Amino acid sequence: MAALAAPTWRMGTTSLFPRLFSSTQQTRFALPFFPGVTLTIPIGIQLGLPSIPSILEGIWEGILKAVPKKKTSHMKKRHRQMAGKALKDVTSLCKCPACGETKRMHHLCPHCVSSEQLLHSLQRRKAHPADIFSLAPTPNSILSASGSSSLLVHSTTESTFPLIQTIPNAHKLGCHHVCTAKGGLGNVAASVGFGGEIKIWNKSQNKNEWALDWEIPPSGDVWAVALSENEEYLACTTSDGRIQVWDLNAKQVIQTYETGARGGGSFAMSVDLSRDGKFTASGHESGAVYVFNNDAGRMVYSLSGLAKPVRAVAFSPGCKRLAAAGNAGIIALYDMQHGEHVGNLTTPNARPAWITSLDWSDTGDYILSGSLDGKVKVWDVTRGACVATHSETEGALWSVRWLPKNERALGPGMGKGEMFCAAGASRSLTFYREATGI
Amino acid sequence: MSWANQQTQILCYYYLYTCKIFFKKNIKNMSASSSTSHHSANFSTSSAATSFIPDARNIVSIPNNDANGGALAQIEDLLESIVDAIEAGSELIIPYRSSRTEVDPEQRDARHSELVRFPGRNIQEAKRFEALFRIIELSHEALLSGNIITKRNIYYQDPDLFKSQAVVDALVDNLAFTLGVGRGDLNIVAAAKGLISGPVELIMRDGSVHNCGLSGDGGVLLPSLEAIDKIAFYCVRWVLVIEKEATFRTLAASQYAKESQAGHGLLITAKGFPDLATRRFLSLLHSIRPELLLFGLVDFDPHGIAILRTYKYGSQRLEHEVGATIPGMKWLGIKSSDIMPSSGLSRNISALRRSDSQSTQEYSSQESQAYSYDGSQSERPPKRLRIRRVQDPSDSVAALTQNDRKKAMDILKDICSSENMDGDVPEQMLELQRMLMLNIKAEIQAVDNYGDLTDWLDERLCQGR
Repeated sequence: MAALAAPTWRMGTTSLFPRLFSSTQQTRFALPFFPGVTLTIPIGIQLGLPSIPSILEGIWEGILKAVPKKKTSHMKKRHRQMAGKALKDVTSLCKCPACGETKRMHHLCPHCVSSEQLLHSLQRRKAHPADIFSLAPTPNSILSASGSSSLLVHSTTESTFPLIQTIPNAHKLGCHHVCTAKGGLGNVAASVGFGGEIKIWNKSQNKNEWALDWEIPPSGDVWAVALSENEEYLACTTSDGRIQVWDLNAKQVIQTYETGARGGGSFAMSVDLSRDGKFTASGHESGAVYVFNNDAGRMVYSLSGLAKPVRAVAFSPGCKRLAAAGNAGIIALYDMQHGEHVGNLTTPNARPAWITSLDWSDTGDYILSGSLDGKVKVWDVTRGACVATHSETEGALWSVRWLPKNERALGPGMGKGEMFCAAGASRSLTFYREATGI
Repeated sequence: MSWANQQTQILCYYYLYTCKIFFKKNIKNMSASSSTSHHSANFSTSSAATSFIPDARNIVSIPNNDANGGALAQIEDLLESIVDAIEAGSELIIPYRSSRTEVDPEQRDARHSELVRFPGRNIQEAKRFEALFRIIELSHEALLSGNIITKRNIYYQDPDLFKSQAVVDALVDNLAFTLGVGRGDLNIVAAAKGLISGPVELIMRDGSVHNCGLSGDGGVLLPSLEAIDKIAFYCVRWVLVIEKEATFRTLAASQYAKESQAGHGLLITAKGFPDLATRRFLSLLHSIRPELLLFGLVDFDPHGIAILRTYKYGSQRLEHEVGATIPGMKWLGIKSSDIMPSSGLSRNISALRRSDSQSTQEYSSQESQAYSYDGSQSERPPKRLRIRRVQDPSDSVAALTQNDRKKAMDILKDICSSENMDGDVPEQMLELQRMLMLNIKAEIQAVDNYGDLTDWLDERLCQGR
């Protein structure tokens, strides 16, 4: 009641205020400093001075109401925002057949992948007489190319990884790249020799042996090659920075991408075709990574981030990400929908070694990398961290590859775990696998 | 008009020359007998000289190669046949084969009959005949008098005729190839290019002594092989052949040949691609002192390996030259393991270090101890106190150019076609392949310690010993 009366009174008696001020001075000072004196106000009312305490009461109320209370608190806001949006429970869990721990379905078991659990399963010592420069896995075998003239094929369906075929005199000057289709049937392989010639190999179904299909004669300095998943297209790079896409059925070039003025591009050291066949990516000496759209026949992204030569590029199995690595010693990840740099995989090492080879696991969860210091690393892409490092191999690594899982798992004594193979200057093929819990 | 003039001029020239040949032929027998006596006298004096000099000098006489007689006889046969042709009034013929052209086994005989005729079918052939004849004549003169003429000197005899030095070089080499003798056998040499530095003395046939250890940083120009009589080796144990003159001069200036951990040695450079004189000198060193260790130090690039291969197996163009290859030369560096020490490419080094002799092991451990502590350490070696290199060699690598890659491929093809796979040929192939894979090259300077190569060399020479 007094609170409502006070403003009206104040409006009318402004001129009276100085006089009132002097007479009520004592009480007014008492109020803020001595809370107990507030009792004097009702006393004042009882004493028959109704107007003055009610005025004081009004002022006091005004002071209390000075802070606005309309703002929604942060907590309240968060509560409202997040209502009904909490993380859903992950129900797609299963038991890891290898170690028995719970893991997500269709994902690698994190317990098995951690370094203690990965087993160095077998080494084919001195498989080649010279450095092994490249590996190419098929569903049931692995091809290896080295500085010597022949290509070797080792079976991956048996636990001893026996040599099943030697292709002699494949490349007289030695072979630096061999590739098969990732996720493909594994009936076509392509290899490039130091002389610059590309050879296409076919696996005959009845004899299960590789035989030469046809040869692209040396034209310029051909370096890296990649095959598309359907084994119909081949991408190759040259030292003057061109990328050619061949149609293997028609045996002709269907696309040529130039990355510099005629003959002046930077050396294209690596190439990859995405599994959906939509993109071609090339990594260059200058540190540039270019992505081309095969349908449109033009460059879609020019990706920066690595200033040093890029020795490996790899599309994720879902074609959503591109990984690139090289002399910088870090793995850069790019998003393929918008061409953005989305992250780096690094170790807090002072001076990382040059990375020579990259490979995505079939699920796209893990990246395998091999480097010149002989270390093979497994990276968890979602966590952005290195989950396993192996450095038993005594030589520089030139190539690391996951082995496809489907047929291999049916072989006796092979288990269901993931496997990969590493090779390089040690001239040996080293196979690693997840622990099988035996 | 000038064409006719030239013809007559040449013909006159032949007639004059014919007389000269007959004259010389008559005295040839006499001179031959006198020269043999001269040789024996020479030999006796040299043996007497060696008996006077104390053994510490370790003098080795250079065997006097008497292949000259063969070359002389061949040239005289050639001239005689020309004289006969003139007398008979028929076509003048000089057999001439180019060593540069590819020779198929089937076409070898056809190639052999390639001739330079006079009168020529065209003006080029006429000119070539005249030039070739001029060279034969000069060589004949030189062989008779025992003098040595340089290719440059031949060119200046008639610059109008020869047009350029390259023409003379090609003609001389092809003439030697046709006659099946070395260029030196014709008493024609190239001006010396090689430099030598180290505690040895070259005693020349004219009695003068070149002391290679005295001159400051420059080294001594390698004299022509024919002029060297004896070499005083003292206690030289190794020979280091360096691709680059700059590196050679740095090492020569620091007297590395005397102060190396690996004992006394010799430094030799041919300033890039080796000339015949240097290669023959090295080949001679190897033949007279087989226990001498020969090391090659070249850049880690395709040209470096090509230079090494030229030393070891000779060049394609001068394949006919005998005694110009040093297959026993060891490749000291630079290799991929040297420029990438942190990487797995250098896997052999630790094993090699372990198998080192005790003394070097001691030395290296002492050294590393001294370097690992700070400057207050008192018992560190007084010499060679330097800052250990902090720079990683992989910083000083460069990318291969397209030409480098092409060159590397050519060498690889060359290696594969020669099918000579013994020695360190597989290693050369491997290094070339690694070079292409990594797409890098590096200079010798990549392994030095702020311009000081001696630590690295000490280590490698001790390993190689």
